[in-house]
Amino acid sequence: MLKKHPLFGFILFGVILFLLSNRVDELRVFQGATVAIYVIAIASIILLTGYSGQVSLGHGALLAIGGYAAALSRNYWGAPVWLTFCIAVLAAALGGYLLGLAAARLSGPYLAGTTLALAIGLPSIANQFSILGGEQGLLYDIGLPPTSLGADFTQYKWYFWISALAALVTIYWLRNVMNSRYGRSWKAVRSNDVAAELAGINVGRNKVLAFTVSAGVAGLAGALLAMTISTVSPGAFPLALSFSLATGAVLSGVTTLGGVMIGAVTLVAIPEIVDTVVHRFESSEAVANNLPGLLVSTLLILTVLFVPNGPVEQMRARHEKRAKR
Amino acid sequence: MTQFIDMLLIGIGAGSIYALMAIAMVLVWRSTRVINFAQAGMALLSTYIGFELVQRTGNFWIALPLAMILGALFSALVEILLIRTLIKHSTTGPVAGIVPIIATLGLLGFIRATIGFIWGNQDIQIQPPLSKVGFKIGEDTIALSPMNLLVLLTVIGMVLILGFIFQKTSLGLSLRASAYSPEIAQLAGIRVGAIRTIGWAIAGAAGAAAGLLQTVNGTGAVSPDSLEFSLLLTFGFIAAVIGGLESLPGAVLGAVVLGLVLAVVQIYVSGTLVFIVAFALLLLVLLIRPQGFIGAKAGRRA
Repeated sequence: MLKKHPLFGFILFGVILFLLSNRVDELRVFQGATVAIYVIAIASIILLTGYSGQVSLGHGALLAIGGYAAALSRNYWGAPVWLTFCIAVLAAALGGYLLGLAAARLSGPYLAGTTLALAIGLPSIANQFSILGGEQGLLYDIGLPPTSLGADFTQYKWYFWISALAALVTIYWLRNVMNSRYGRSWKAVRSNDVAAELAGINVGRNKVLAFTVSAGVAGLAGALLAMTISTVSPGAFPLALSFSLATGAVLSGVTTLGGVMIGAVTLVAIPEIVDTVVHRFESSEAVANNLPGLLVSTLLILTVLFVPNGPVEQMRARHEKRAKR
Repeated sequence: MTQFIDMLLIGIGAGSIYALMAIAMVLVWRSTRVINFAQAGMALLSTYIGFELVQRTGNFWIALPLAMILGALFSALVEILLIRTLIKHSTTGPVAGIVPIIATLGLLGFIRATIGFIWGNQDIQIQPPLSKVGFKIGEDTIALSPMNLLVLLTVIGMVLILGFIFQKTSLGLSLRASAYSPEIAQLAGIRVGAIRTIGWAIAGAAGAAAGLLQTVNGTGAVSPDSLEFSLLLTFGFIAAVIGGLESLPGAVLGAVVLGLVLAVVQIYVSGTLVFIVAFALLLLVLLIRPQGFIGAKAGRRA
């Protein structure tokens, strides 16, 4: 039934998450929210990679656009929370559209380098215009959870509910998009753009469209990220965030949405595991500070060397091979 | 008028350091068709090695060449251990394009974490070997100190040496031939594998010089998470791309143009805008003249 009606699967997963969130402590709930946000952001990179075979090193900048758009609309127009999320998506999609116009002409390492330059460049704009709040940034307060949820319903659980719901809806929607005419066109462009062009696909328009959709999704992730830390500032969207997201996308496998949880969970779990290990063995500060980075980058190098398509795709390929035999 | 001269001096000074980084990226791109996003990490490691050498020997001018040699060795090692494995395992299909990018990105993280293990995450301080107070012309102090002057002269000297190697020696001929067409070069009896390693080694030396000179020319402070090195990477990349990515003179030209444009923005508009202007310049060049200032027409989309 799950294969035929994936919607049931998503709803079932949502119910399990809901039940789980009542059983674990605050820290886990917060980490759950972070995982959900990473899932959205990583999915947007996978979508982008789905058409160009190219990973964006500057997705942090698109998240920043979403976060700032949400905070601005909340602070200056007093927009309701759901509307700020919509504005975040639209603003980031617009940014992605403009970037996509340029990016459609680039490929190879040029796109990676250009997005990298954007990730370094964009946050500095916040220091230029006082409306963006400079280095301190802006407050982004979505308010307390509704009282109808009960008195002991915590703020973090509210964040988790919103992020998890957003993640589930986004992945379900992206899954459908990938299986639609557009998704098939993007895959065709990715595999062979000349052949795609001959088959009547407008390569340029499809690239820009994919970039726009990806950016919109990234904008949603940005708004959610801003929600969990209650502020937006240049420091909230550092280069390291862009690199983490690219890392997460590669660990998940950039050719399919199926493994999107792997990267997100790894990004959240590794610092946690290192923390436990460091406490157990009372290691020095240098170890505590650098072990997560060392583990993640080693994992990254090993992944691209040995399972460049990602673990899920690798398993599927092996499965198919066995089935053929 | 002094402001204008200051702008020129600052622009050319900054551009000269970006030029070294851009040269490193061009050399790596020409020899293995990889944009080395770990170049900043390798420069950072060399800077730390330079710091150790300055501590031990007490002389910056001994430390600089030694750090460059060690940087070259490390870079060659990376080529042999990582990039060769990468080429051997090279996949075709949609992910082929991202593999080198991600591998070098992973290397960047690996180097940063390793530096953190060894030297800690706090700033270290390298004393500039010369005064950083600007020269005086009449009453005015101009934005050119003995330190700046030496950085500039060192960079010019290195570029001239590199130019000589590339144009006048048989090693340079092999390097150019391997970049132009690896197969034909192989048939002509050039050991392309070894030449690739040498290309990486020279890039490592140039990156090491860029890192050390950038540090002593700036605040003198470095940490593993230093923003300076992310900027060095990005500006080096931008300079290399607007210069054409294939050509060494192009890289130098691109770097000087970038340095001057950023200096104009910094002095006449606002210091915080330099990053976004650099990005805009990159986009503009890629859209209007995608082959760069100096570069063949084809090949930029590949």
